[in-house]
Amino acid sequence: MLLAVAGSAAADDIARGKALFTGEASPPCGLCHTLADAGTEGAIGPVLDDLKPDAARVAATVTQGVGVMPAYAEILPASDIAALAAYVSSATGAQ
Amino acid sequence: MIGQHPINRRKFLLTTGGTAAGAAAVGLMPARALAQAKPLPAYADWKKPDAMIVHTAQTLETTRAGMGSPAITPADILYVRNNLPAPSADITADPDAWEIAFEGVGEPGTMSLGDLKTYGVESIACVLQCSGNGRAFFDHETSGTQWSVGAAGNVFWTGVPLRRVVAAMGGPSASARFLTGTGGETLPEGLDPTTIIVERSVPTSALDVALIAFELNGEPLPVAHGGPARLVVPGYYGVNNVKYIKKIAFTEEESPAKIQQSGYRMRPVGESGAPGQPSMYEMSVKSWVTAPLMDVSSGRVVIQGVAMGGVSAVSGVDVSLDGGGSWKAAEFTGPDLGAYAWRPFELVTDLSVGTHVVASRATNAAGDSQPENFPPNHRGYGNNGWKAHAIELTVS
Repeated sequence: MLLAVAGSAAADDIARGKALFTGEASPPCGLCHTLADAGTEGAIGPVLDDLKPDAARVAATVTQGVGVMPAYAEILPASDIAALAAYVSSATGAQ
Repeated sequence: MIGQHPINRRKFLLTTGGTAAGAAAVGLMPARALAQAKPLPAYADWKKPDAMIVHTAQTLETTRAGMGSPAITPADILYVRNNLPAPSADITADPDAWEIAFEGVGEPGTMSLGDLKTYGVESIACVLQCSGNGRAFFDHETSGTQWSVGAAGNVFWTGVPLRRVVAAMGGPSASARFLTGTGGETLPEGLDPTTIIVERSVPTSALDVALIAFELNGEPLPVAHGGPARLVVPGYYGVNNVKYIKKIAFTEEESPAKIQQSGYRMRPVGESGAPGQPSMYEMSVKSWVTAPLMDVSSGRVVIQGVAMGGVSAVSGVDVSLDGGGSWKAAEFTGPDLGAYAWRPFELVTDLSVGTHVVASRATNAAGDSQPENFPPNHRGYGNNGWKAHAIELTVS
């Protein structure tokens, strides 16, 4: 039962992360990043299918920004950043 | 044979063994070796793969061993950090036709690189280094590429002195406080350009030394390094050396681009980037060991490395073989190429069997020396602490 609940919460996070990735974050991640699972082919930042960042790295990068990448801490609540981290690390098989 | 193995985020172990197998048998195949499995991106596929760590398609680091201690870094092992994808190499097909716009001067206008060359050409040797070089040695979690020592090189730039061009155009406007360079990358649609454009403002004092560079080490500037033309500001961190330079403006305010306003700002861990914080401009005094060459039978060791002064010429390097307990003066083994260049150094010594912590500490003409530790900062910029850059050397 506990596992099922945890799994459901994770699934919610991943769904939320995908929505943010493909459109709801501003700017959306997919504009600059290629991620097969999300169907995005952005060519500005690293190809996430190649980089395979784990959740901690996604969270740190989205929060702080890198180079020209914005610091989303100023744009998204922490819960959304966590959802993105869960989604990207899951979609690339890093976790 | 020398094997190089990071043993944690702060130190590197260099073992000496009779064979490569001996080194491999240590069983510490580093994460960087795995990273090396990524192929070089097409725009930089002329780099030496064995000397490069491919972090991402836009971040290529020179390995510590591959860097060696040359007076001038060959282009085919020079690191690459692109903030946006490199444009097509087509833009370097006819360098002289490349056009650059000038604003904030007495007579604004656009000139081709071919025309700009008629104002004269100079060469300068200087260190090119990413602000985040040494980030991997910080203990706190940092976003961005985990560069160790290899986001740096010492190269010859040849180009048109910007001061001559600007003087001919009537000089900077009276209110100008910044020299703002804009890169020519194509930006994606659907995004506020200031979010992503590579546009950097440096103090107008940089005009005295800035070049519009079109050659790297005597060869036409490749697209991987900003060709056909790049703004070079000697002594300044890499990000200020804007690639594919399309516009140079003298402005009263800093660029509104994110990369200027909140990016590349030195601030405490946990703090967001903001305009009031120091921008990553002038580099600092720094050195690191790259290549101990060992005679195992005698314990005779040649410690080699490179040392830079930042914006003041490097004047000396001390090497410690006991983790900073005592220091010996090293000798420069390459020419003095000016205040902005690095110099290779060497210390010949005898080491007993065992493990030795080898550190280098450079001093510049202004009297600045590397600190033992550089303070942690949010993005992991500017690390020149000698302790973090030390290596462990094992004589067996």
